[in-house]
Amino acid sequence: MAGKLCVSITNAKNDADRATVGFVVANAAVGSAQETMVFLSTEAVRLAVKGYADDIHEEGFAPLRDLLANFVKGGGTIFVCSPCFKKRGLDEKALVDGATIVGGAKVVEFLASGAPCISY
Amino acid sequence: MDPSVQADDVWDAGDMGCGELVFLLAQRTRALGPGKVLELVATDLGAPHDIPAWCRLTGNALLTANPPHYFIRSKES
Repeated sequence: MAGKLCVSITNAKNDADRATVGFVVANAAVGSAQETMVFLSTEAVRLAVKGYADDIHEEGFAPLRDLLANFVKGGGTIFVCSPCFKKRGLDEKALVDGATIVGGAKVVEFLASGAPCISY
Repeated sequence: MDPSVQADDVWDAGDMGCGELVFLLAQRTRALGPGKVLELVATDLGAPHDIPAWCRLTGNALLTANPPHYFIRSKES
């Protein structure tokens, strides 16, 4: 792959527009042959739970469920903030395909390799 | 775990994770001195990915990883 990109998403149903656009950009990066990692933190960790995104469909964009599935199918990886996930009492056994619960060191390692990051 | 590896210190971090875990881990390994082995117990869900990443970033050697147990040799210098 040509390069690396991190897309940091901090919103879920509280701001479906930002959550959706984050995945649109992530898909653009994967489609542009970039090694792409979506980092879900704070409220966005809910997007990593199976079924949560099923009813998020922002006008003008594809349904978030499809964006998420396409991102993973295209080779993208999803890191889920461990303390954010734990704080919300979410079920780690119900993670969407391609999502991995990680802490700060894993994210730092990705960024320290020279990956730029865009935040939503 | 390789029975020939003896830990010089043991730290049970419990369910501590993310930045707090690796920050205190850095302090622990530094205090231990170079070439020493720390047995870490960390049950956080992110630890199986974080501890190897932290070792790669910092130059400390991950001897074994059998979550929640990790044996880490502190870097020589």
